[in-house]
Amino acid sequence: MTILRVNHLKHVFGSGELAVTALEEIDFAVEAGELMALLGPSGSGKSTLLLCISLILAPTAGSIEIDGQTVYAEGWAHRESRRLRREKIGFIFQGHNLIPFLSARDNIVLALELNGVGRRSARQRADELLDYLEVTHRANALPGNLSGGEQQRVAIGRALANEPPLILADEPTASLDTERGGRVMELLKRIARERNSAVITVTHDERMIAGFDTVRRLRDGRLLVAEEYT
Amino acid sequence: MDLAIKDVRRHLGKFLATIAGVGMLVAIVLIMNGIFQGNIADGIWLIENTRADLWVVERDRGGPFNESSRIPTDSYRSVAATPGVARASPFISYAVQREIGDREQQFTIIGYDVFGGLGEPGRIIAGRPIRRAHYELVADRKLGLALGQTLRLGVHDYTVVGLTRGAVDSGGNPLAYLSLPDAQEVLYQQDNRALEVQRESDRQRLEDAGYSSTEVERLLPLLGGGSATISAVLVALTPGADRDAVARHIERWLYLSAYTTEQERELMLEGKLKRMTAILGVFRTLLLAVAIVIIALLIYVLTMEKVRAIATLKIIGAGDGVIVRLILEQALVLTLGSFAFGWALTTATQDKFPRNLVLLPEETMLTFIIMLVGGVLASLMGIWHALRTPPSLALGG
Ligand SMILES: Nc1ncnc2c1ncn2[C@@H]1O[C@H](COP(=O)(O)OP(=O)(O)OP(=O)(O)O)[C@@H](O)[C@H]1O
Ligand SMILES: [Mg+2]
Repeated sequence: MTILRVNHLKHVFGSGELAVTALEEIDFAVEAGELMALLGPSGSGKSTLLLCISLILAPTAGSIEIDGQTVYAEGWAHRESRRLRREKIGFIFQGHNLIPFLSARDNIVLALELNGVGRRSARQRADELLDYLEVTHRANALPGNLSGGEQQRVAIGRALANEPPLILADEPTASLDTERGGRVMELLKRIARERNSAVITVTHDERMIAGFDTVRRLRDGRLLVAEEYT
Repeated sequence: MDLAIKDVRRHLGKFLATIAGVGMLVAIVLIMNGIFQGNIADGIWLIENTRADLWVVERDRGGPFNESSRIPTDSYRSVAATPGVARASPFISYAVQREIGDREQQFTIIGYDVFGGLGEPGRIIAGRPIRRAHYELVADRKLGLALGQTLRLGVHDYTVVGLTRGAVDSGGNPLAYLSLPDAQEVLYQQDNRALEVQRESDRQRLEDAGYSSTEVERLLPLLGGGSATISAVLVALTPGADRDAVARHIERWLYLSAYTTEQERELMLEGKLKRMTAILGVFRTLLLAVAIVIIALLIYVLTMEKVRAIATLKIIGAGDGVIVRLILEQALVLTLGSFAFGWALTTATQDKFPRNLVLLPEETMLTFIIMLVGGVLASLMGIWHALRTPPSLALGG
């Protein structure tokens, strides 16, 4: 089943003389349970692509389909982009972006409660995730008091909380040491396998892509031909 | 999950400090309200509590409180004889400053007919009213006198037989009640040396006018005694009497001025109190405006501090309702907390305040509503900003 389909996607920052074309002629699709790595040099448009897919940035042209539903087509965008994100997409940012005044646990609980999960089960589910991500001992700490790696893991927990069909991860290993980074990658792979979620992971690090189903490379806002790994 | 409360709990110190600060501002606004109303209440206390139907004073004078009024003591008899008048009593009032208990105190002495006349002290909280013609005193407790204590006024000692609470003149100074003759004596009687000086100057004037020394000796005592006057005559009307007609009759036939209680109150509000209340009114309006501006600013700053968190909320799919609630609730916590603190502070210090504070519930309520509306309006500004914040803002930096 196709979870994500992107057609002729284009994104231009600014306008007139200052216009920067960050993405152009992007075409690809991702199946349920597929692990896709997105590679490319800095400034090639990787983050922009993930932001466009999740409608955090409005694309300039093209179309996007998520879970069989057209969410963007030629200037028309789904009215309830926030509900869409809440229900369909787990987003792990390049920065960590936790809510600073909520504890690690509450950051995850919030994501669940926003999706209508009751308080008790949300708490239970958050604790499971924290345990799974090995940050249980920091459950009550505020993000400001967590290390970069711990924040990253809580952010992952938040993205996974609602078991979305599509997980977008923008350099999830950037602030982790090699060992932890490897483990986060393993985790994402496991989620793709166990939960049948499609995962798109941006990374700089070629060593991290072993075991991915698809590797796509961006250069100057354009996709290079995909390599299939079998 | 209640995001607002979570945020408040994380920044409890900051919120409490803000609430304490704004609360003190609220307290000042409430105290200003209290002083404003207290000023008016003090100003008309004596008029309202005397409960006379008419105040008869010297012709064309705005007395007896706004302007000095002197009429002969006996004029109350002529007033009493006016048709429609049930009772007419002499009344004198004047301000003095004396040392009581090591402290220079300003107070007003009221002299009245202690044998059934009008103008007696209202509710006595301790002791009894004056029952003897001389040397008894009823004082307001603000003077710091105890029952049985004596106070020297002029050449005599006066024993405190009763205490009142809240009996003040138009300036908020306490009252001391004496019998009419005592009050007149305190006002007019001089000690022997002063008397001697006065007699000497009178003698000189008579001799200069060409009176013989035997004539001078005969006339002198008459000059000395003529100075006993009163400030006003208090009138109680017979049931069914036409107040205005009686007033006109007194003005016309006795060549005096007569005011109803409402007119007296009007004279006081339009005269002595007007400027003071106007200044206080301006002050409290300014203070309230400042308090609201500060709350507005704080709420706006609190929201600005959170824009990144708000953008993140949008990214993880929080609806506008969640964001509006976050800001509005904090605004309410701030305004309600500040008001509660300010109100508690005001009521706790009310009795220790050197001036009479009159906190009218409706005025406190109005202040509260104004602050609440101000707080909500201020948070609307923050909400407007928050809703416009693009989710991508969470990604920058
Ligand atoms: N807000 C913006 N306004 C204008 N140009 C932007 C903006 N954000 C990104 N760009 C430009 O768009 C291009 C793509 O940026 P993007 O952030 O997607 O790159 P990236 O591949 O994620 O890089 P990195 O690996 O460094 O994160 C870059 O040339 C960048 O300068
Ligand atoms: Mg990037």
